[in-house]
Amino acid sequence: MNCLEFRRRVGAEPAVYDAALAEHRGECATCAAHQDELLAMDAMLVRAMQFPLHPARPVRATIASPSRRWLALAASLVAGILVAATLWVSYPAPTLASEVIGHVAHEPDAWKARDPLGADTVKAVLASSGIRLRDGAVDVTFARRCFFELHWVPHLVVQTANGPVTVLVLTHRQVGAPVRIEEHGFTGVVLPAPRGSIAVVGRDISGLDDIARQVFEAVEWDV
Amino acid sequence: MNSDDRGTDRQQRFGALCEALRPDLIRFAFWLARDRALAEDVVQEALLRAWKSFDALADEAKVKQWMLTIVRREHARTWERKRLETVELDALVQAEAPVLASDDDAALAEMREALFRLDDDYREPLVLQVMMGYTTNEIAGHMGLTQGAVLTRLFRARQKLRTAMLGDDGEGGP
Repeated sequence: MNCLEFRRRVGAEPAVYDAALAEHRGECATCAAHQDELLAMDAMLVRAMQFPLHPARPVRATIASPSRRWLALAASLVAGILVAATLWVSYPAPTLASEVIGHVAHEPDAWKARDPLGADTVKAVLASSGIRLRDGAVDVTFARRCFFELHWVPHLVVQTANGPVTVLVLTHRQVGAPVRIEEHGFTGVVLPAPRGSIAVVGRDISGLDDIARQVFEAVEWDV
Repeated sequence: MNSDDRGTDRQQRFGALCEALRPDLIRFAFWLARDRALAEDVVQEALLRAWKSFDALADEAKVKQWMLTIVRREHARTWERKRLETVELDALVQAEAPVLASDDDAALAEMREALFRLDDDYREPLVLQVMMGYTTNEIAGHMGLTQGAVLTRLFRARQKLRTAMLGDDGEGGP
């Protein structure tokens, strides 16, 4: 695969992964950076597309006939009843975002550590997931394997200039595109990775996309 | 089960499957129509149509695709029915400024505007892929295109966004 073919593929599907792409990515730093940039752009696109729906617009008189007005009224009433019924009958399964936030929120002490861990400690936590961190790429102050979605996953806390972030390496969990997380004061993103995905979450933190990219680039996936 | 029970069950299933998608449907319709008020009208009509033909939904796992298809058709009908006037893009951007704005992230607002200004042919497949998680094959089916055409549109859409955001379109491409 040459640079042109690589860029055609990732330009249409930045999160796509196969052996030929991975090989070229490993050989060409410029193309790897180009793909990372596209992934970061997609992460921002997700946020851009999911604009907040409030405030509600004033209702426009677009339903002209009495029968359609009745239908709309009936639909509104049904919708109100159904919202309540739905909440009671079928509480939705937790999303990846809420699973990640739930896990981070239950380990608040992880963010209190300030002293960087030794490279061997971090290496031991990551080894069974088949990954490692590039030497000196990030400062890790917490590293543990945690049970998450029925899998043992590396849970790290990385110190950044803007504050600590939690990193969950989810090699079992594929995402087709970056998943934005904004819940309960937490901000984060789950990025597609060569194997599974990687979640980076902070609280009241700015520049998360740059941090996520830095963390993503710090991981070596084929150990 | 009597007819009342069946009616209640149908309503509950409709609420859980279709009404629950309303926020995503409004966003999808907005990026199709580039008009927030019109998007809400389109989704309202689409939900009414879906309610009437709900029994035709054979596979509940495909409800999202089913609803997006209805929204897309309803949007096309609205254009045909209302014969909407062609409006200058700058005026549209101005009119939808509250949706495109972001209080605390200028880059995000810039990205929304760049997306808003993309041609329909590029914007729709990109929204389906990035926001709705469609594969290129599913986008092809939804839009009646070949997969190759979808890949080309997605590539060009990102190229245009990149140019708008960075003043650089990367290298190469179909």
